[in-house]
Amino acid sequence: MRATAGTWPVARWGVLGFTAIVLVYLVIPTLVIMPLSFSSESFLRFPPPGFSMRWYEAFAGSADYRAAILNSIKIGVPAASLATVLGTLAALAVVRGKLPGRRLVGALIIAPLVLPQIILAIGLFPVMIRLGLIGTYPAILLGHTVVCMPLVFITVSSSLRSYAPTFELAAMTLGANPWNTFRFVTLPMIKPGVIVGFIFAFTFSFDELILAMFLTSPATRTVPRLLWEQLNFQMTPVIAAATVVLLVLTMGLLLVAALTERHTRAGRRTEG
Amino acid sequence: MTQVVNEAGFVPGAARAWRKPWRPGRGNGFLLIAPLTLLCALFVVPLALVVVRSFSGPQPGLAQYIEIVSNPSTAWVVLYTFWTALLVTAATLLLSYPVAFTISRAKGRLLTVCLAMVLIPFWTSTVIRTYGWIVILQRRGILNDILVGSGLIDQPLRLMNDGSGMQIAMIHIMLPFMILPLLSAMRGIDANLMRAASVLGANPLRQFVHVYLPMSLPGVSAGCVLVFISSLGFYITPALLGGQRTMIAVLIEQQASRLLNWPLASALATILLVLTSALFIIYERLMARLGGGKPVGEVQ
Repeated sequence: MRATAGTWPVARWGVLGFTAIVLVYLVIPTLVIMPLSFSSESFLRFPPPGFSMRWYEAFAGSADYRAAILNSIKIGVPAASLATVLGTLAALAVVRGKLPGRRLVGALIIAPLVLPQIILAIGLFPVMIRLGLIGTYPAILLGHTVVCMPLVFITVSSSLRSYAPTFELAAMTLGANPWNTFRFVTLPMIKPGVIVGFIFAFTFSFDELILAMFLTSPATRTVPRLLWEQLNFQMTPVIAAATVVLLVLTMGLLLVAALTERHTRAGRRTEG
Repeated sequence: MTQVVNEAGFVPGAARAWRKPWRPGRGNGFLLIAPLTLLCALFVVPLALVVVRSFSGPQPGLAQYIEIVSNPSTAWVVLYTFWTALLVTAATLLLSYPVAFTISRAKGRLLTVCLAMVLIPFWTSTVIRTYGWIVILQRRGILNDILVGSGLIDQPLRLMNDGSGMQIAMIHIMLPFMILPLLSAMRGIDANLMRAASVLGANPLRQFVHVYLPMSLPGVSAGCVLVFISSLGFYITPALLGGQRTMIAVLIEQQASRLLNWPLASALATILLVLTSALFIIYERLMARLGGGKPVGEVQ
């Protein structure tokens, strides 16, 4: 756009300045929480009057938070694992299969992610009561599996579409049965998609509030539900400390996901 | 054509290109048994029950729907939800378009920084971000401190009562959902077309209006539908920042778990379900047509 740059510099700088403002707007709420978590006072004052680690100590010493984090892991890991297996199966069938109505099936699998969770929550609540599962780990675990499956389906589908099925064709021509083809050709090719899908699914489950509000009990309370109850009850910087810790953990996980993707892409590029 | 994956992961066209006489995994249908069983039992059946229950209650039939429409407070919540979703969609589009444009042109470190600034909030929990907005927008929050301290206003703004704080936070939360589809469409626009228009004598404004804008429209419509759907179903932000203003999802939760009025909650949920499903179908169609863009994941 050399012409644009030469003729209309004001408009160009206007767009750049506008972009900078919007980007700042995007990161501000996250940035505000960090200094607050080191505040020496219990009220939410900005800038904080003094520095202290007391809210991190309170967070580390809190039995409620410890139980909630444990619950979130106990729910998130199995839910993400189940979602990964089922999402991968669905992606294989939809992308590589030759079914009638594949698009319909694909849309149906994505739907739980798109529809507002409150609808599924009030739908699952009576079902779980009838099954006698309400408030137990299986109830929320299965609920989260349904909403996490689309994430794995999406990442694995795009992995499957990143290479032509001729790879599998070659393996099968050379005499590999379907299982060996999957094990030695398909799986290594889609592995990054599977890993990234698992991480997305786990992060989603770790963050999910609305299903947790309806399907968990105080004994199976997850981190978002605990944060939610605290936000509605009293707002101390413990919440800020907790969110900073969780934020760092989430970002760490997503960084792993990003590096996995980039690593494979770089690998593919050198190979190809 | 380049390999294309939009953020919903659908590329019917790309799969079709590889349809050869022999396809590996011809009988792959059995792989769907487990996922579809789970989906039926824990998604389709519960939603069907919600729809069925919306016609139940003391007087079976359309009683709940008549109640929603005739009761001013519930009718108002439904309308207000619509208004907010429209407002948030429009504001998000206006803010996102220049940002996506800049990012689509950026290279190297600038591109990484810009993308990180979009993706970090995208992956931060909504509860956490709403908490950040409370700190900023409350009566004795950062914004009021700055505005009153600098003498711009005398009385602190009550942003958490009149719904404007909620809208500010919702726009913030929805921005990445608009920027990413826009980016995906803009990355697919061939810069040579603009150059051609320029050579033919079009000034930058005409280049934009007659060449660039029409080519970015699939991204615009996909982003708008996505943001509108998500805005209709917002729960966390309205519940914490809405004050007296309520949205449908909050009302559903109140009716179901506090007032135990399940038929009314189900009727509200059914309205939300029908609307979002219709919009989702539109979105899906758009995504199938948005085949020309580059995949979001490929942006780096």
